[in-house]
Amino acid sequence: MIPIPSFPRHAVGLLAAALLLSASIPAGAVDTTALDPIPIQEGGRKKPYLVFANEALLALTGKTSLTVEGKKMTASQLVTSIWMEPAGWDAVPLILVNNLEVKKQAGFDETQKFFSHNELASSPGFLAALQRAEAARKAARDGRLTGIDKQVADIGLRLGEYEGLRNGSLFRIVPNPDGETAPWMTLDPADPLFQNLKTAFTSGDSAAFTTAAEALRTALAAQAPQFQPPAWRISLENAYQHFHPFRLAWIVYLAAGIVLAVTSLRGRAAGYTIGWVLAGLGFALQVSGLVARILIAGRPPVTNMYESIIWVAFGTVLFALIFEAIFRSRYFLLGAIPVAVVSLILADSQPTALDSSIQPLVPVLQSNFWLSTHVTTITLSYAAFALALGVGHIALGKVILGKKPSPALYNYIYRTLQVGVLLLAVGTILGGVWANYSWGRFWDWDPKETWALAALLAYLFLLHGRLAGRWGGFGLAVGAILAFQTIIMAWYGVNFVLGVGLHSYGFGSGGFGYALGFVILEVAFTAVAFVRHRSLTRHSGPPNQSPTSAPELVS
Amino acid sequence: MTTLTPPPPLTAAARKRLVEERKRRSLAWRVIHALGSLQLALVLLATITIAIGAATFYESAVSTKFAQAHFYKAPWFIAWLGLLCVNLFCVTLTRWPWQKKHTGFIVTHYGIILLLIGAVVGSKMGFEGNVTLHTDKPPVNRITTSHSVLQVESPSDGAVYLIPFDAETAQPSEKRPRILDIPGSSTKLVATGFSHNLLESESLESSAAPEAGPGAAIRFASATAAQDLSMAFALNAGEGSERDFFGLARIAFLPELPARETRMANESQMIFARFAPVVQGDGGSTGVSFSLSSDGQKVTATAPDGSSATYLRSEITDDPIQVGGATATLREYWPDFQIIDGRPATISPLPNNPAILVTVTGPAQAGTTGQPLLEMAPLPRGTGIRYQLSRDGIIYASGEGEPAGAIPLEWADWTAEVTTAMPRAAAVTTVSPGPESVEGVPGFFAQLRAPDGTAGPGKWIRSGSIETLALDLTVVRLGYGLEVRPVPFQIALKSFEVPRLEGTETPANFIATVEFTETATGATKGGVARMNHPASWPGDLFANLTGINYKFSQAEWNPQDLGETTLQVLYDPGWLLKWVGSLAICVGIFIMFYIRPKRDPRETATS
Repeated sequence: MIPIPSFPRHAVGLLAAALLLSASIPAGAVDTTALDPIPIQEGGRKKPYLVFANEALLALTGKTSLTVEGKKMTASQLVTSIWMEPAGWDAVPLILVNNLEVKKQAGFDETQKFFSHNELASSPGFLAALQRAEAARKAARDGRLTGIDKQVADIGLRLGEYEGLRNGSLFRIVPNPDGETAPWMTLDPADPLFQNLKTAFTSGDSAAFTTAAEALRTALAAQAPQFQPPAWRISLENAYQHFHPFRLAWIVYLAAGIVLAVTSLRGRAAGYTIGWVLAGLGFALQVSGLVARILIAGRPPVTNMYESIIWVAFGTVLFALIFEAIFRSRYFLLGAIPVAVVSLILADSQPTALDSSIQPLVPVLQSNFWLSTHVTTITLSYAAFALALGVGHIALGKVILGKKPSPALYNYIYRTLQVGVLLLAVGTILGGVWANYSWGRFWDWDPKETWALAALLAYLFLLHGRLAGRWGGFGLAVGAILAFQTIIMAWYGVNFVLGVGLHSYGFGSGGFGYALGFVILEVAFTAVAFVRHRSLTRHSGPPNQSPTSAPELVS
Repeated sequence: MTTLTPPPPLTAAARKRLVEERKRRSLAWRVIHALGSLQLALVLLATITIAIGAATFYESAVSTKFAQAHFYKAPWFIAWLGLLCVNLFCVTLTRWPWQKKHTGFIVTHYGIILLLIGAVVGSKMGFEGNVTLHTDKPPVNRITTSHSVLQVESPSDGAVYLIPFDAETAQPSEKRPRILDIPGSSTKLVATGFSHNLLESESLESSAAPEAGPGAAIRFASATAAQDLSMAFALNAGEGSERDFFGLARIAFLPELPARETRMANESQMIFARFAPVVQGDGGSTGVSFSLSSDGQKVTATAPDGSSATYLRSEITDDPIQVGGATATLREYWPDFQIIDGRPATISPLPNNPAILVTVTGPAQAGTTGQPLLEMAPLPRGTGIRYQLSRDGIIYASGEGEPAGAIPLEWADWTAEVTTAMPRAAAVTTVSPGPESVEGVPGFFAQLRAPDGTAGPGKWIRSGSIETLALDLTVVRLGYGLEVRPVPFQIALKSFEVPRLEGTETPANFIATVEFTETATGATKGGVARMNHPASWPGDLFANLTGINYKFSQAEWNPQDLGETTLQVLYDPGWLLKWVGSLAICVGIFIMFYIRPKRDPRETATS
């Protein structure tokens, strides 16, 4: 056994302090926080009750707290209330239905967002749609649904989740002594421990509820202790839930970016130092969040879209900090911070499209060695290209504003692209070696493989064109932005647009409009810069073929 | 004393002069510089990027198989990659004479060439396939590959030739037929059609042949089995035929229905008011049952058809009654039944445990467990059929059927209907494209064609079946389907486990424990194939390094049968080249970007 490092306990202390500051219970509601640390088995792993409640509410409503009859309830309070007093909840609009077409088919009010169990279960239109979705699932060869059927099936899952909460079958908190993977059980409703909890809850007595929850926790912890998750992990996961390290990180990054941008005009030295410190603090927050996820899940945090976005934000800032340490320019941080802030805000604000919950791995991914080599290398290459994208925007922004970017700025783009090309080549090849082991072949033009290669070739085209003297620094900046669209395709497009191939564990849906909008904006931006560049060079002499300190041409 | 010093490195200007000079002097160098030019590299990089990007959209819209056939494995794409190899090789020559600063550049470019050569070696000399293993079935020594082939038996020498042929990816049509040479013959095979859902159907045709006898076509349908099919039967030279029906029943078409005599069954039944009856007998079951009222006064008899009658016990004792076609006699009555000294007795006159003994004699009834048999025989003049349905030799239904007449099968939800009947007929099996809604077998339409243009009759050739085509006296046997390769060992599945994620039914892994037995020596070797960890044979270091190794990776499982698993098989002799090339690419890029050779001071001094 690997001994538990001392970091988590330390981190738990720190995070717990922050948690105490933020905890507040609305008046009139029972304080259910004493239940939070109770381990519950769900979704193939054991997690704290708090995490279970947050995930359950997110699954039902797409939110982590909800206002019911004018009272704002936390996930833990709401889920506990359904468990303790199921009567009456059937009529409360809790279940998210946000697809217009589904509402039309079910004959619902199209302006309404949340629907009650009763409304859904008694709607012939909705039930018919659900049956059609089920028939479509049976008819589909791979069992995957698309379009309206997928939307309806998702609502069906929400309905199932609600029913599991209401009948108590999801509350599997009683450890099973039969083995590590044996299913845990629910509490016997006649158990005095449950009765006490229920009595305290229905009478609205927070103190009695806390006492009863503590008693329950102690009693459960004594059962099958060998199969209980370690206490530090439960505490760490709860702290991680409260602390939102990635949300804090983007706030701090944003501050760093504003300081750096504003002080670019004046007060350069002091502003640069403050920007460095803030960026470093944001980075430390992000690292703490990643470390927490690694310790909770026991694997590298690169297994779904949410995690890869977080990881790319991390990599972008990491490379920027390294380059800043070498070149002492502010452009790397200025280029990286918008990328990191946008990525982290995206991850933070789209809980239904980007699932932040920690899930056990599908069998094919269950190899820490390959996950931590192939996947992290590939995603770090995305990060390097994202940094080149950021710096490219600065260069083109200067061109649009009528300023001539310095050769050094173009050289920074080149340096960043080098990192990306090396990592993408290594990562793609590592993917081939892994595929050779896991799937029994090195390369078979799977769409994910193909787009990784297409992206690599696009960047090689960019670098070779530069070698051939077809374009100079400006072309490199334009290329850093345009070639990044192939990364968008490899990263997002294959999983969310093409939806075929063997990397199906990463498939998802949604956000197509935003992705397309991003691509169009980027193309438009480079077009404007191009036009501006043409007029600038016409006014200031012949086109600048090689404005940078030429990178080592191998001639 | 002289010291050996390496020649001074070329300056950029001197190199330029050298290149100009050799291009002027030699055509070979001009060609090398042209083929190794950056302009060509740019064209290749751009076109390959666009082509493979387009291919992924094509794959998403059409299918993986088509994307492979029309892009990645199409001749033009392979040729393009070949040109890329030439470009990569020539560009390294253009830098001749090489210097230290070229190390990364050369290592990278040769790495890509090695990788691509490895891919060619792998696809030409290796194979990919799969094998499905069962824990309770014998070991396997053949692997189904992913290549479609045509097996052709040569009409001249009878040898079987393998011709790579995939009708699905390059679909033959009337406009674009695919023509194949038949080895050892001047005749050609001409494929002019493709279907992905060929179905076999049977029909009845009237026949003037002397051996043709009366026949009938029957349509069978089942909603739960999603089947609707026709079967045709005809007497041939007065001979009948018998066939299996999905393992569910047997069907016979005979000149005459065999007489099946009614067998008599004898039973003695011990009937209790408060307990289940005890029945003993021989010759099968009479299907008659009884019940006794709790006071022991009334007896109810139920016939096989469900009709029942109630009698006063006292009235029928030792007086035979008719129950359906059977005769029953009440022999004894015990008000308070108990076994005493091994014999039935009553321990009190009170009806505490009433029991009676009944003997029954009647026609044996068909059971419900035996395999049913449908026997049919033509009616005189061939206007219809007579049928009888039986189980365990006991008839449960019989009758006559003319066209549109139903046969009451009682086989799950199967229904049967006589569709045609003819006095002189032959049963014909035809293969043809079915409706879209029904899943069939892929195949192509083909005929033989002689050099003079005369063509033989056409036929649909189904995947997985052997068909015969003829043209005059030339007869060619064809087999179409996935190529099956023998391997020099046997593989047996010893056990298959699917551990689950805790508290769920979601698989966490798939673990197949296998055993390899070398055919030549009989030597055995164990192996375990689980996710990310393949089993391999021979599996030693040399084999793993070179890829001269059969690798078995977990590919598919059957949730309904946990004794079955499908393993993907890879034999890749190009593996060594692939991974050496890969390593070279990674190391080369790193050297190019991050390791600067120390500049020779003379380089700047002489410039």
